[in-house]
Amino acid sequence: MYNAEVVKKPLQGKKTVTVALIGNPNCGKSTVFNQLTGLRQKVGNFPGVTVEKKVGNFQLDNQLKVRLVDFPGTYSLYPTSQDERVVLNILANQEDQYYPDVIVYVADITHLEQHLLLFTQVRDLGIPTLLALNMADAARKEEIWYDTAALQDSLKVPVIAISAREGENIPQLKEEISQLIEKPSQAPSAFYDLSKGEKDLAKTVQSKLNINNSYLALLIAQNAGRLPFLTQSDREHINEHIIQSGFNRLSMQVREVMQRYDRFTPMLKKAIQRPEGKGLSLTDKIDGIVTHNIWGPIIFFALMLIVFQAIYSWSSFPTDLIDAGFANLNSFVKTTLPESWYADLLTDGIIAGLGGILIFIPQIAILFLLISILEEVGYMARAVFMFDNVMQRFGLNGRSIVALVSGAACAIPAVMSTRTISNWKERLISIMVTPFISCSARIPVYTVLIGFVVPATASWGIFNAQGLAFMGLYLLGIIAALGSAYILKRLLHSEERSFLMLELPEYRMPVVRNILLNVWEKVKTFTIEAGRIILIVSIVLWVLASYGPGTKIAEAETQAITLAQQKNFSETQTADLIAANKIEASYAGHLGKFIEPAIRPLGFDWKIGIALITSFAAREVFVGTMATIYSIGSEEEEGSIRDRMAREKDPLTGKPIYDFATSLSLLIFYVFAMMCMSTLAVVKRETNSWKWPIIQFFFMTGLAYLGSFIVYQVFK
Amino acid sequence: MPNTLNNLELGKKGTIAAFSDEQAGCQLMTMGILPGNNVQVIRKAPLGGAIYLKMENQQFAIRNKEAECIMLK
Repeated sequence: MYNAEVVKKPLQGKKTVTVALIGNPNCGKSTVFNQLTGLRQKVGNFPGVTVEKKVGNFQLDNQLKVRLVDFPGTYSLYPTSQDERVVLNILANQEDQYYPDVIVYVADITHLEQHLLLFTQVRDLGIPTLLALNMADAARKEEIWYDTAALQDSLKVPVIAISAREGENIPQLKEEISQLIEKPSQAPSAFYDLSKGEKDLAKTVQSKLNINNSYLALLIAQNAGRLPFLTQSDREHINEHIIQSGFNRLSMQVREVMQRYDRFTPMLKKAIQRPEGKGLSLTDKIDGIVTHNIWGPIIFFALMLIVFQAIYSWSSFPTDLIDAGFANLNSFVKTTLPESWYADLLTDGIIAGLGGILIFIPQIAILFLLISILEEVGYMARAVFMFDNVMQRFGLNGRSIVALVSGAACAIPAVMSTRTISNWKERLISIMVTPFISCSARIPVYTVLIGFVVPATASWGIFNAQGLAFMGLYLLGIIAALGSAYILKRLLHSEERSFLMLELPEYRMPVVRNILLNVWEKVKTFTIEAGRIILIVSIVLWVLASYGPGTKIAEAETQAITLAQQKNFSETQTADLIAANKIEASYAGHLGKFIEPAIRPLGFDWKIGIALITSFAAREVFVGTMATIYSIGSEEEEGSIRDRMAREKDPLTGKPIYDFATSLSLLIFYVFAMMCMSTLAVVKRETNSWKWPIIQFFFMTGLAYLGSFIVYQVFK
Repeated sequence: MPNTLNNLELGKKGTIAAFSDEQAGCQLMTMGILPGNNVQVIRKAPLGGAIYLKMENQQFAIRNKEAECIMLK
């Protein structure tokens, strides 16, 4: 049995105990987390940063409630990325709300040599720690021999072998956690011996901040410049000492890391043995194909094609169901409730808004199902390896390709998929440029307008000209995305030096529970967090389109009815005319007229202006608004809207409004403009601030304005 | 040609001697890539820029720039 000092402060008096899960990337930490908490987990951000925080609850046998915090995977307490910095910021600050009472350190037995460095650092912080050796099942398969008692003896903390994947020894793990809470103990002596100079430095920090752990003090001193909880005077005090004693932070780190390895490597030699190499492993064989010079990229693009197909077409059935369901609900409410403003608010504002949120769920669920499988299996790391070189030139990451490809279906799940990019700058750039990729909501707009630019019968060689023009619009989106990524790469400065040092984990069968929980969590987050914003904007847009200043709306309605009676209109014709007159008299109509001078140079009139405003809800709304404005009813086919638009003439010149220049200008506008409140809502949630969605909105819409302006002025 | 990892022939084994860049070296060490370890370059990335590195029981992807910092015995 190991010897451990009992820490004086008993934890049982507390109502909930905070337990931290810490470990290297790929140690199977999330599988442990999901095993312990199941659906009782909440995902959010750590305060002030967009690093994913997973907190879950579970009960121990002794009725003690545990708050389990899953920390980002990290290799050491010397952070190199935002994710890793979170771990240090919390573990170095005893006042932090997530500062753990107990640490469960998860290590992969099959890579124990690599996974113990961080463990020895964490252990030296004086927090009661236990070591969970995960992947006992894989160790058995690989015939790795290990001795937990020997490890426990030399590391001086409780050690338990588990397999989170198979649920093996999970009750025992809980039992060990209970024991550690009942008798909190810390390792008797630190793993790392501070040098004389380091001890002096630590003492300065210890007395300044009133802490008693010398390793913690040393860590704080080394990272003083970036720890958010230090005051400016603390920082200056510490830095002064460092400069005076001539310390080099990097050399200190290297010395510490070497000393730790030198101490635990001999311990491991006695406690773990793996069989002699047996030639190529399964992972070697798979990688021979999957990262092959020619096969690698082919397989990757085939997979991306499947991802695109899945979001684009597999989701259409559930999406149509949701769409039809909300349409039915809408008309049911309309016919049940008396005609009134609240009936309109409920149907055209709230129900339409809710429908607009739920409609994205199939796409989000399907995309994350596929991405989670690729991540879980270990494939995504290979994609990063293969495409790092190209993507790096644009300030992006290999994982950004998934976002760009998914963006062709819908930017919302695509932006959400960037969570897996750990470098903040690369992730931000991916988020900012993904909405340039033409999504499926632009297709109806393109379809309506393209006929005015390229005649349906025209062909260039064997190609249909409209098809080529379509492709041109998509290409334009891709060019805009990569071009702006390149610009952003230059503009955004990053304190993180860009490295690629990526572990390529062994291929493993995916854990179904992890995948389903991930899909569930993404859908839930989107519905609750982005959904809120979408619903509000949708109600605002409804107000804009249904109300007008003073009695304008009512006047417009009477006028329309009189005119319809004079002309002997049918019931639907009358209703369509009323709708057209009403939208002209509404706030949206006024706004359309108000912005007309600004959009005139792009070749747009106020009617297009209204459509630009309403289609901020979603691009495809453009088509519906056009139908309303030209009073042809929103149930009509795209073809008839196009016919009606083709007949639209400029009242002064008598020339068609939708001539080549205006139509092309409008197309260009829709390729570039950020006309999607849902995407902005998701960007807000993923970047944790309004700053980035606002910049994105003005940048994209500004580019759209510029593009349309040039096109119209050249071709008019 | 300096005896660094990026110059190691595909498939051949080498032993890490030291790192010429302290920051990169420190980060490599935290991942378990240490002086004294045997390493092998399995392949280059299809579009260049990075190598597929294999150690005894672990494989990594690192950029050529980082591979240049890894000096071999």
